[in-house]
Amino acid sequence: MRTAFTLALLILHILPAAAQAPTWLEDQLYGGGKLNAVIAVVSIILLGIGIWLWAQDRRLKRMEKAIEKKTM
Amino acid sequence: MKHWWWKFLAIALLLVASIAGLRVPLSPALVHVSPSRISPGEVNIEVTGYNTRFSEGMRAYLENEGQYVCPVRVEVIDATHARITAVVPAGLRASMTDLVVQGLKYPGAFFTEGLGDGIESGPCGPSTNKLDMSGLAFTFPNRSILYESIRNLHFHVPMWFTMIALMGISVWRSIQVLGNNSLDRDRQARSAVHVGLLFCALGLTTGAVWARATWGAFWTNDVKLNGAAVTALIYLAYLVLRGSIPDAHKRARLAAIYNIFAFVLLVMFLFVVPRLNAIDSLHPGNGGNSGFNDLDLDNRLRVIFYPAVAGWILLGIWLYDLRHRSLRINEHLDR
Repeated sequence: MRTAFTLALLILHILPAAAQAPTWLEDQLYGGGKLNAVIAVVSIILLGIGIWLWAQDRRLKRMEKAIEKKTM
Repeated sequence: MKHWWWKFLAIALLLVASIAGLRVPLSPALVHVSPSRISPGEVNIEVTGYNTRFSEGMRAYLENEGQYVCPVRVEVIDATHARITAVVPAGLRASMTDLVVQGLKYPGAFFTEGLGDGIESGPCGPSTNKLDMSGLAFTFPNRSILYESIRNLHFHVPMWFTMIALMGISVWRSIQVLGNNSLDRDRQARSAVHVGLLFCALGLTTGAVWARATWGAFWTNDVKLNGAAVTALIYLAYLVLRGSIPDAHKRARLAAIYNIFAFVLLVMFLFVVPRLNAIDSLHPGNGGNSGFNDLDLDNRLRVIFYPAVAGWILLGIWLYDLRHRSLRINEHLDR
């Protein structure tokens, strides 16, 4: 009960500050004339395609194992 | 070499488009002017430029409905900062006055007080020097709000073009399934939707980041955003539907019919609904909103944008080909 109360108090204190301070993110995205937004977008695309390739790699590995089992 | 030349083409196009998309500088522009209000009397104006090269003796003036106010003093602080002192006369006609520095205009820079029937225009107006080469440099348009993020045009938008191309391939394969009951065509349709959804996810997330930097929120109630989200759900349902039918031939036919409906809905949600005039959209070219093609010298963007779209579509087809081939091998193994 006491911890819940303390937590609630803490959250109540932090939340308004968090609501007022998206400035960190804004600074990140707006930095360099909003160039960082471009860097974020390019990173997301590369990451996404990388994850897809990773998944495809695992599928191939599964098939390779299946072939090994069949030929054994 | 015969069959994979297009893979080289994909890599070459993506290289060119990505390097140019990131490296081409933004054209110079005035990005900040203070104060925002002028009244008759002496005024000190602070100008901030972006990619500008302010230099001593540069041309600067205030413009109000074709009448010019010449500065008393132009003090260059550095290449992007300058202080301009001018004596504003009483009797300017329009309530908004533009500022022009080195031929770069900041429209509606000042809210103007002390209006009247006009003034005696100063002798400083626009340059008549015909040998101005500054417009010849290859640069991207510099627009307020967008600024450098205009480069995202070459990354975010091709994601959607690629998704639509892949969904188009998929629906074409589905029509073929209905004609000849080919399970291979069905596999191709499924692979295309799979890779199309990857590009849809990339389009949604990159769009969210760009929206945060320009519109101020990761997700807005824009018709095109919601349309894209609904399209993603429709195609996810396509995969769920496939998973729920055990018989391969029945699955192929039902999925093909669903896929045709799904593509019709995609066209509706991404092309028709956002263009209805009754609906406002933040996206350029939608709901009475102008496209990027009205930007000055928009061809500078097109030169990079079209290769980028072609490159990403080819890459999407490449991924789809990989997925289809691995599915085919997998089914051979299961037999």
